[in-house]
Amino acid sequence: MICTILKIAILGLTDALGIWAIVGLGVAGNWFLLATLIIGMGLLNLALLSRRAYPLRYLIPGLIFFGAMVVYPILYNVSIAFTNYSTGHFLSKEQAIAHFQRQYYLPENTESFSYQAFRSAQGDLILILSSRTTGALYLAMEGHLTLLDPKDPRLLYENNQIKAFEGVPPLSTRELVQNLNRLEKLALPYDEGVVRLASLREFKVYKPRYQYDPDKDTLTDLLSGKVYVPKEGSFTSEDGESLDPGFRVYVGLTNFVRIFSNRQITGPFFRVFRWTFLWAFLSVATTFCLGLALAILLNNPYLRFRYLYRTLLIIPYAVPGFISLLVWRGLLNTNFGVVNQILNSLFHIRIPWLQEAFWAKMALVLVNLWLGYPYMMIVCLGALQSIPSELFEAAYVDGANRWQQFKKITLPLLLISIAPLLVGSFAFNFNNFNVIYLLTEGGPPIPGTQTSAGATDILISYVYKLAFASGRGQEYGFAAAVSIIIFLIVGTISALNFRFTKSLERMSEGL
Amino acid sequence: MRKFGLAVLPVLLMGMLGLGSVPGKLIVWCDETRAPIMQELAEQFTAKYGVPVEIQELGFGDIRDRLGIAGPAGEGPDILIGAHDWLGQLVANGLLEPLDFMADIKDQFVPVAVEAFSYGETIYGLPYATEAIALIYNKDLVPEPPATFEELIEIAKELTDPEAGQYGFLSNIPQPDPYHSFPFISAFGGYVFGKSMDGTLNPCDIGLDKIGALQGVELILRLVNEGVLPPDCDYATMTGLFNEGRAGMILTGPWAVGDIRKAGINFGIAKIPTMAGNTPRPFVGVQGFMLSAFSENKALAKVFLEEFVATKDTMLALYQRDPRNPAYLAALEEVSSDPVVQAFAASAADGVPMPSIPEMAGVWVAWGDALQLIVTQQQDPASALKDAVARIRETIGCPGL
Repeated sequence: MICTILKIAILGLTDALGIWAIVGLGVAGNWFLLATLIIGMGLLNLALLSRRAYPLRYLIPGLIFFGAMVVYPILYNVSIAFTNYSTGHFLSKEQAIAHFQRQYYLPENTESFSYQAFRSAQGDLILILSSRTTGALYLAMEGHLTLLDPKDPRLLYENNQIKAFEGVPPLSTRELVQNLNRLEKLALPYDEGVVRLASLREFKVYKPRYQYDPDKDTLTDLLSGKVYVPKEGSFTSEDGESLDPGFRVYVGLTNFVRIFSNRQITGPFFRVFRWTFLWAFLSVATTFCLGLALAILLNNPYLRFRYLYRTLLIIPYAVPGFISLLVWRGLLNTNFGVVNQILNSLFHIRIPWLQEAFWAKMALVLVNLWLGYPYMMIVCLGALQSIPSELFEAAYVDGANRWQQFKKITLPLLLISIAPLLVGSFAFNFNNFNVIYLLTEGGPPIPGTQTSAGATDILISYVYKLAFASGRGQEYGFAAAVSIIIFLIVGTISALNFRFTKSLERMSEGL
Repeated sequence: MRKFGLAVLPVLLMGMLGLGSVPGKLIVWCDETRAPIMQELAEQFTAKYGVPVEIQELGFGDIRDRLGIAGPAGEGPDILIGAHDWLGQLVANGLLEPLDFMADIKDQFVPVAVEAFSYGETIYGLPYATEAIALIYNKDLVPEPPATFEELIEIAKELTDPEAGQYGFLSNIPQPDPYHSFPFISAFGGYVFGKSMDGTLNPCDIGLDKIGALQGVELILRLVNEGVLPPDCDYATMTGLFNEGRAGMILTGPWAVGDIRKAGINFGIAKIPTMAGNTPRPFVGVQGFMLSAFSENKALAKVFLEEFVATKDTMLALYQRDPRNPAYLAALEEVSSDPVVQAFAASAADGVPMPSIPEMAGVWVAWGDALQLIVTQQQDPASALKDAVARIRETIGCPGL
């Protein structure tokens, strides 16, 4: 009973929150999120209120987070890949047009007005403007400017200053400041321009800079007379000049075509791809070998202090990679780094760790080994313990030596449980941006090339350079397109690998 | 894309909670250095005008990155505090509103700071601090700062003894930090972007492979070849050695001074020595206040900026909290008896604003790569610079020569 009441109370609260958010999203006009939220709320209610949907209750929370954290970002990413979303193209077309319509300029010798504001009986703001050039008075109410006779009976003077209008005194500075956001929205037609707020104390005659014609979809610069038409997300004139800001438009496959036609990308692509592949393979192979070797050592019950060793060996895994990578970068410095200072005093050599392509790759693999072996060691330790010891005893009786036992029993049985993790590790290292970027930033650069791909750039770090550190800075659309391509590559490799591991499992079924 | 996602989520949440710009209330985005001062100003403003001001604290870089998403969604701030080199990107994205009142009061500011916050002829920011690199020297090792680079090389050669861990001159130029290499390039008349007829920077007129830049880079290479400049000294190594008293001279900016003081080094600051008789011109970076184009309170924000920020007291308070040279002349004068301020002001006076056009994004990496190839002797200066410029032109999309 209490349970039911609690359930309904919590559901009611959640629904209330949901409805509040739905209204907010409706006002903001975010229809996609609105629809998602409505469907989500509907499912939640169905799951909790309908008996038949009982199992759903345990799935719904997970599904909602799955939708919000995985499905939505992926859909968003895919939709961005077909747009020109980048520096200069952040706004929607309406926002860009509104931006141009907000642009005014001050004509030469423009007229300026001092003003006083009054509050009418209805609470509206009434302004009395006094021209600084002609001295004429104007009354501004309901968006219009009308000439006001200085002898108007509604005006009350004191020492030649207007003290009241219709018996109401003018707003104080404090009240004016509080109402500034209403005053700044005024654009009162006057002559050929508009009278707008220029500062706290004055209005000036402005002229609009641009005029947008919704029928022809053209933007005219009223100062120069140039006509701009929308083209590839920018208002562009006939002579090719385009205005900032541009706007977001769907550009179809342009981003994808650029990937396959741009020399900057296609030139170094295969070199980068080869290294990415090698890098991912070496990372998995080195960390797995060392992790497995240590796990076998630690699994030996005759080893003293093995729990102490195990704890110590896990430490590199516990230190955040961000910190240890930056520390390694310092340690590997050619002239000042500790590694080279030791090598120099022992063997009189200095290795250009981060300056030459080969050594930079070595440094990456070694540092990644330091970062990655504890993980492999932990999973191998777990898997080793699940191998029944009778198998080894039987092998021992049959006269198998240690190496044969390892090759014929340990490794095959281990791989059944570890192989999927190796595949996952491969996919992870394929996109291991952090290690590359924090240690070498993709460098060292390659002499004589005209692309930004360095010697140790992997696909994802190269994409980062192309999308966020070249051209005009931020190319979200392009980056999204490349990340889709990378996903296809990694997805294909992983699928092939999993097929391979499945065959491993089938092989082991005989055991 | 992950970064983008991280930026979107809080913005969505903020939108749901209604934290964006709303009429009648000012929202200021600033980082934790400026937040306490802004909080005080906010309280004063509210007391005077009865208008609430909310200070929202964000990471410095997040202010720029999130504005592009939050602003158009109606969830951004009214006022933001940032660096002038964001300007190009923000203006190209239609995110900033010009500060028209600055035209009337620009005489109250250091000219190069106002120039930095101008885009074309429009002023988009109210500057408060300037920074430029200069020569910082250890008075115990170098009693008199060198006036020319020939002198510097002589002093540095005498002091340098890598086996003993002693260095005469250190800089992170070849690390590669193109920012620190610019004085060398500018001294010989080199530039990054040339100017168009209308005074704006022309992204397709790139000067990095012209004769001036080449001569500057050759001087850097000479320093490396003569053993005066280790080719892989990074910022941490440079400041670390200097703070231990093991380096005679370093080339860096005001951000390093705090730690040098703490380390108790007897230091002095001088202008960067002349190179073959020419004055080096470092990049000048400027910090300042900007106004969002999506603000619902532009007039209100301008009153806040003009009356409360452009004052000697506020500018001094900002200086106390973040000791970079004030860009406001009255405040600069007040603190000008400080030799550190004087020296950095002298260096900045020779400087040129760091280019703020968005095309600069592509320049840094290509330029840095070229420097690295040159100082590690993998490529000769002329062809490395030529490749770098070709690369920049291609990513910007400049027409072929």
